[in-house]
Amino acid sequence: MAYSATATGEGTLTLLDFDDEFDPLAVDETAIDQEWMDDENPYDTIDYPTLRNMPETPHRAAVYTPERQGSVAEALRALVRQNPSHRRVLMNIVGLAEGGCAASAISAKVDEWMRDNRSVYAPMTLCRMLERAGALVLEMPETTEVAEDAEGGVAYLEIRETVDPVWRATDEALALRQEYLSGDQFRSVVLESDEARYGEVYEAVMALLEEAPQSMGAIEALTDTFPITKKPKRYGQHFMDVLQATDCAVWAREGWQLTDLGRTLFAEMKAAKEA
Amino acid sequence: MEDVNLIDLMKSRAQAYGMLARLFREEVDLATLRELQGMRFPTATGNATVDEGYHQLFEYLRRAWEDSVTELAIDYVRTFIGHGVNGYSAAYPYESVYTSERRLLMQEARAEVLATLRENELKRGDWNEAEDHIALELEFMQRMALRAAEALADGAEDEAVAYLRTSYEFLENHLLNWVPMLVTDMRLHSKTLFYQGLGQLTLGTIEEDGAVLRELLDSVEE
Repeated sequence: MAYSATATGEGTLTLLDFDDEFDPLAVDETAIDQEWMDDENPYDTIDYPTLRNMPETPHRAAVYTPERQGSVAEALRALVRQNPSHRRVLMNIVGLAEGGCAASAISAKVDEWMRDNRSVYAPMTLCRMLERAGALVLEMPETTEVAEDAEGGVAYLEIRETVDPVWRATDEALALRQEYLSGDQFRSVVLESDEARYGEVYEAVMALLEEAPQSMGAIEALTDTFPITKKPKRYGQHFMDVLQATDCAVWAREGWQLTDLGRTLFAEMKAAKEA
Repeated sequence: MEDVNLIDLMKSRAQAYGMLARLFREEVDLATLRELQGMRFPTATGNATVDEGYHQLFEYLRRAWEDSVTELAIDYVRTFIGHGVNGYSAAYPYESVYTSERRLLMQEARAEVLATLRENELKRGDWNEAEDHIALELEFMQRMALRAAEALADGAEDEAVAYLRTSYEFLENHLLNWVPMLVTDMRLHSKTLFYQGLGQLTLGTIEEDGAVLRELLDSVEE
């Protein structure tokens, strides 16, 4: 045994214990073709065929698909729920692809939307995620224009126009986007739940954000002035989390600010109060 | 060869080696992809391997779009890194792997390349790979071609010949010695026409360059 198990006060951890049954370097005798191995691996230093039998590429099933979640709407709902920081961009892509949009145009827009955010996802990766969820369909042009040219007696091929496929949003995805844009989520989470007791705080925070982008410090300073936030203690971050989760606020380089949906809903709140 | 402008020839050799070195060094990004798509691809260079390489690259690039960057990044990893530990799971881009008995890194070939780099007052920059990586070997050829072009422009013919001789010896002793095997493995492991084509183009280019250098050196030695 090359490793000794680490002992704790109560005994030996099973996790660190040596498993006699498991030997990752063991050769699977049944998979070896010795004749072929001798040809390919004359020095006989490795169990070549065993490792050769490994799959050529890692395969992992997509997580959010209509097959797995039951429908496009459910798959898309699950996708945006599990990727809260990308929800706005994902839904914006769906909106942009209504009726079809060139990949390059989507890419430019996503870069603009993600200007103040760091993301490991490239714009086309986000589109592929939406495609797997059934929210987008890729329309690939058949061919591109190719030109033959000659200079100094040498013939050349040139790509005159590069491929720019079109992403088109599906009806199910557009319907779900409409649902998100309707503000129903904000109404159910903020106005029609326990959270409604903080109504005046939300209104004040939204009014502050409507004036200009704000830092979290400024938001905290405002929310701390309300007695209702004292016990139980509710920090400004809580209100921003809810506003962000309901697509009403977004963080940008300048600070926290209201989205178009946030402005609409704030106007709606003000109108309801005046009425 | 008398009609050929040697300075231009050296510069175009440097460009060819520079492009190949870049494509082996790291994955293709969007800027590089767009640059490649803006290139002109010769259809009949007189070398069938080069022609096939250009044809495969062209066929891939004419259908390539933004998402191809991800596809190429995946294929780069599959081709040159692989996911096995047996020494046969990828087209390892190191000379040592192909010239050592047990397919190991950092063997004699690396020491030889390092010595050649030092003899020519070159050293690896901040790129943390062994000196016998194909990108570095191709870049060495690029440097020698640029130095030869500079020497010719200054009228220092002997100096230029010395650079050509160094290039030829390096090509014979290193690149031509192992790149054919690397390209065979690239054909086996790569899934895109891009890396299939890159392999062919590299093989054809070094074969063709070997012939050109031999001819130039013969004409000097006569």
